[in-house]
Amino acid sequence: MLSKRTRLWLGLIVAISLLSLASSCGGPKTETNENEGPSGKAFASKGDEGTISGKISYTGAAPEAKKIDTSADAACTAKSPNLMTEEWVVKDGKLANTFVYVKDGTLADNTKVGDYTFATPSTAAVLDQNGCHYRPHVLGVMVNQNISITNSDPTTHNIHFTPKNNPDWNQSQPNGAAPLTHKLARAEVLVPVKCNQHPWMKSYVGVLKHPFFAVSGEDGSFAIKNVPAGKYTVVAWHEGGTAGTERTMEVTVPAKGAATADFTFGGTAALRGQPSSLPMMSAIEFPMIGKH
Amino acid sequence: MSKGVHRFALLVAGATFFLIIAGANVTSHDAGLATSDWPLSNGQVFPKMVGNLFWEHGHRLVATTVGLLTIALAIYLQVRERRSWVRRLGWIALGGVVAQGLLGGLTVKMNLPLAVSAAHATLAQLFFLTTVALAVFTSRGWRQPAAALTEKGTDSVRRLCLIACLAILVQLVLGAVLRHSATWDQYLPAGLLQTHIAGAVTVALVLGSAVIVTLRKYSTEQYLARPAMAAGLLLVLQLALGVVTYLARMASPKDPQPLNPMISLTVAHVACGALVFAATIVLTLRAYRVLRIDRQAYILAPA
Repeated sequence: MLSKRTRLWLGLIVAISLLSLASSCGGPKTETNENEGPSGKAFASKGDEGTISGKISYTGAAPEAKKIDTSADAACTAKSPNLMTEEWVVKDGKLANTFVYVKDGTLADNTKVGDYTFATPSTAAVLDQNGCHYRPHVLGVMVNQNISITNSDPTTHNIHFTPKNNPDWNQSQPNGAAPLTHKLARAEVLVPVKCNQHPWMKSYVGVLKHPFFAVSGEDGSFAIKNVPAGKYTVVAWHEGGTAGTERTMEVTVPAKGAATADFTFGGTAALRGQPSSLPMMSAIEFPMIGKH
Repeated sequence: MSKGVHRFALLVAGATFFLIIAGANVTSHDAGLATSDWPLSNGQVFPKMVGNLFWEHGHRLVATTVGLLTIALAIYLQVRERRSWVRRLGWIALGGVVAQGLLGGLTVKMNLPLAVSAAHATLAQLFFLTTVALAVFTSRGWRQPAAALTEKGTDSVRRLCLIACLAILVQLVLGAVLRHSATWDQYLPAGLLQTHIAGAVTVALVLGSAVIVTLRKYSTEQYLARPAMAAGLLLVLQLALGVVTYLARMASPKDPQPLNPMISLTVAHVACGALVFAATIVLTLRAYRVLRIDRQAYILAPA
């Protein structure tokens, strides 16, 4: 028979095992899009649609882009000798690569955006691997819209979608190979895309059930066109920060009119986006509330 | 039985340790899905080893080598080993390495689900345990042990060592689950991280006790004192590596890509964990080989 002390130790080990199992079974939290819901009636234009446009600004000193070491693949170094990170692309105080979308809203006739279904575009969105980085860096598509993935580099990539609400998808694509096609069946803002072959390569794909989204350009501007008259919650999402940073605004779109939605990032968002010691220190001092 | 079998078993254990390092590099570089193929990489046996494919395909080549070495060891034991249970263990090792290869393929084809990846990392340690045990069983010290020692008193070295082995195995599983639950650009789950830290404390207490008791009782018996000393020193090194790995890993999510020192420290932590396990296995097996419990003394020991 085992001694009391042996039983105590074994009990402790079993307890830790069970704790481990419980922790690992928790799984990642799934994010749901508020626009998801039962299928509704097909959206039909009333001819009174307007536009939501605006600028994404960045206040304060923008975090500096870091040079990426591409020496693991000479083909990358040759094509992109000065590849930089694209987490915060700020020019003259304007922020690029921000995904702006209608999260929710009520149309002028008191119906909700989520009450409608919208036709999936027949043209594929293009995501190109060029110079060992993705072009575009942030892409918006509709649910079930084809994404054509091209490889313009003289090296092999693998394209790896790592969503939470959609199935994981990973495919190798040698140089010169035909474009790959992928589509996502569920709305998700945003799906990280990466290349495990070249781990600095990152892209984000916003997937929505409606077409009311846009990505800010280098001048920070964006325009969401053909938005029916109504009152909407508009969200600007940027990858900077520990798990991205969001700004939200209520916007009223008049019939055949234009609404402005200017968003500002920076300050707190900038601090969260820095690779500073802040997240590390909080985890050291308070591991109980460490970030996931 | 010749020295050759023991030397070959040592070679297989050493190659397995190198394989663990290669596997740890795959995870730390986030290279597990650098190719969506398995067992070929991008449809080739020898693809261009650029980018992270160097780590993923390199791991596969090392694993293939270990697999071939294990086949050779099983056959070598079958031919030269008299003890049937050792021969059987050789075949078990071969079964283990085959299962490990299949798990590796499965985790690639399933896009690295946590359960399969953690199982792959855990089986790696169990296979390493088997190869280390084979090296011990085929050694001269095992076949011609010193005179049996009588263990007196209530602190059973054998039991403490066995519990330490179990505690380390659980801790290795925890480490595998923690490691595969977040890639380098994500923060580690706090709950799992805390559990792994609690596991480290448990291992430190259990293995520390086993080492201290062994050295206190058998400091002059090199057969036991050496692995005990090695396990103790490796434990201290592993705890220190754990702290610095944690600091480096917490800083990595904002790096542009997996970078040193995070990679080298994490790989060193995994490798040192395997060595702690190996030293404790050697100590445990040797303790069971030479120590005899004096139950009479135990019963009659004064209060």
